Amino acid sequence: MSTYDAIGDEARRPFSGRRARLGDLSLQTVAGLAAAGAVSVLGLIAYKVVQGSRLSLSTFGLGFVRGIGWDPVHNHFGAASFLFGTAVTSIGALLLATPLALGIALFLTELAPRWIRGPVTALVETLAAIPSVVIGLWGIIVLGPVLREHVMPALHSTLGFIPLFGTPSPAGTGIFTAIVVLTIMILPIVSSISRELFLGVPTELKEAALGLGATRWEMVRGVVFPYARGGVAAAMILGLGRAVGEAIAVAQVIGGVDNLIGWNLFNGGNSLAAKIALDYQGATSQLEVSSLFYLALILLVFSLVVNLVAQVVVRRVARRQGLVAR
Amino acid sequence: MPKHGMLIRITLVLAAAAAVSALAVAGAGAASAKRSSGSLTGAGSSLIAPAVAVWSQLYRNATINYAAIGSGGGISQISTRNVDFGASDAPLTKSQGEGCHGCVQIPWALTATSPVVNIPGVNADQLKLTGTVLANIYLGNITNWSDPAIKALNKGLKLPNLKITPVHRSDGSGDTYVFTNYLSKVNHTWKTKVGCATTVSWPTGVGGAKNDGVSAIVRSTPGTIGYVSVAYTIANHLRLAKLKNAAGQYELPTISSIESAAQLVKATRIPTNNKISITNPPKSKTFLHAYPLATFTYVIVPQSTSKAAELKAFITWALGSTAQSSIKKLVFAPMPGSVTKAAKKTLASVHS
Repeated sequence: MSTYDAIGDEARRPFSGRRARLGDLSLQTVAGLAAAGAVSVLGLIAYKVVQGSRLSLSTFGLGFVRGIGWDPVHNHFGAASFLFGTAVTSIGALLLATPLALGIALFLTELAPRWIRGPVTALVETLAAIPSVVIGLWGIIVLGPVLREHVMPALHSTLGFIPLFGTPSPAGTGIFTAIVVLTIMILPIVSSISRELFLGVPTELKEAALGLGATRWEMVRGVVFPYARGGVAAAMILGLGRAVGEAIAVAQVIGGVDNLIGWNLFNGGNSLAAKIALDYQGATSQLEVSSLFYLALILLVFSLVVNLVAQVVVRRVARRQGLVAR
Repeated sequence: MPKHGMLIRITLVLAAAAAVSALAVAGAGAASAKRSSGSLTGAGSSLIAPAVAVWSQLYRNATINYAAIGSGGGISQISTRNVDFGASDAPLTKSQGEGCHGCVQIPWALTATSPVVNIPGVNADQLKLTGTVLANIYLGNITNWSDPAIKALNKGLKLPNLKITPVHRSDGSGDTYVFTNYLSKVNHTWKTKVGCATTVSWPTGVGGAKNDGVSAIVRSTPGTIGYVSVAYTIANHLRLAKLKNAAGQYELPTISSIESAAQLVKATRIPTNNKISITNPPKSKTFLHAYPLATFTYVIVPQSTSKAAELKAFITWALGSTAQSSIKKLVFAPMPGSVTKAAKKTLASVHS
């Protein structure tokens, strides 16, 4: 540890040559400008969003957050159904994606034959590179009808006593379809990070567990999962952030129903990001535009909170793992 | 270190996604950046966008840069004078007119929106509907294709016992404006409960994003009914339904039935703000074959602008016969002479 720091100090000490100093100075300027640029862009966005939502803020106040419906004809706007849609779709997607992602990561690190790991890893990561508009289109044309014809009726007939699985959506779009699409979109993020975490589990620990007579599942449960727990939590929060902010794919499959909050996941709905993307180009009154900015403000606050929580979790885990590793 | 590689890869993917969405937003801003002499920038309605694209190919005297950011966006862009002209399918509301500080709206194209259906056993152009039935379907009062009200209009047609799923636009749209404008005229409950705008609070049904979204849902879902821009129905082989006009005839959206509806402006006086609605023309011999869901779409320009000469030249050309007939293949009907005359009169008031 101390050796490392000594080298670091040496490197940081200013060079004596004039040219080196010039290089240092320009590096510092360029890098500093880049950092300042990023910070000021964030500041500008936040300022613009608050400024844009001022009219709606003064008209509806905080009641906007609880209000249901979007009616430009009668100047009635509320965020509750969109907030509901965002929360349900992103949390639902996270609940579906996490076990799948952990399964994929375990398969790729512990169970799969070595020759299969490379290609499958690459393919799973390719999933993250598919543009969301393509996934959304596939969601309407292929996934929606499949869910409508097979999955929704099956869920309804077997688990219909749970209010979540009510009457299937006739069009194949809705909250449930949005959850499935978001699951596909966040799966590669969570599984890739989990895979890296599982790879980072020290071999000595795993071999010690196996040596003590643990089965492979006991080893995974007793060593791999506890070691990676915090990191997986951070990965989940990253996935959640992605799901919360996704606009286009969700807009295509969620069904665009603005005034509904209900238990049935097969109903149509709408999310904050999707509503902003859908409505901004067509908004006709000042109040409607301002209300869209208000939705953006809510989304911004929501995302910031998710990001901050992720950072805290990651930092805590890094500290703890630092203790474990050394 | 593999962990770093991973993080960088994730960051790159996220950054690419952010860049794409940023580009979409920048599309609106880019219009304002390109403002040199000999060029005109415009923004707004996506309904008119294919027509403007054809026009910008044909027009030689200036470069036309048009961003299809939607009618609402076009109105706000012209209100802040970020563009030289805006385009909107819905006429300016009172507050928009005031917010635009001395803008004039000029009708410059004529087209229609039309109901499309997906009913097993029913072919294109077979189903007949009235405005009242259409309103009741979208209000949620008629919920089955075998409803007596629909059967009565379609004697001889075998209608299945199937739930109706009304599909509407989930984005703000000129098509929604025309559609709800028509339903407000034919149904009092619709007028008081829902009203007419580019986005309304739908009592029932599911939403689809843009014309593509509505088309995709209608095409893939038995039992659906939707409404889309007429150019779109032809390109996508959607099954049109015939709509009964006030004269009692069942009509499809064609150049001639749209032109016939536009004859309404001859009968009514064109107001100075050019706000014309030609949905649901009244019962008369003139409108025997009029399509009840036709609409004008507007270009919005400031009355006083430094680009007055270029704008006047371009819009005069767009109103002319070459430009009007060049977009017939997109099912834009040529505007009637009286509207062209009113448009030119308004255009003459634009000055630098």
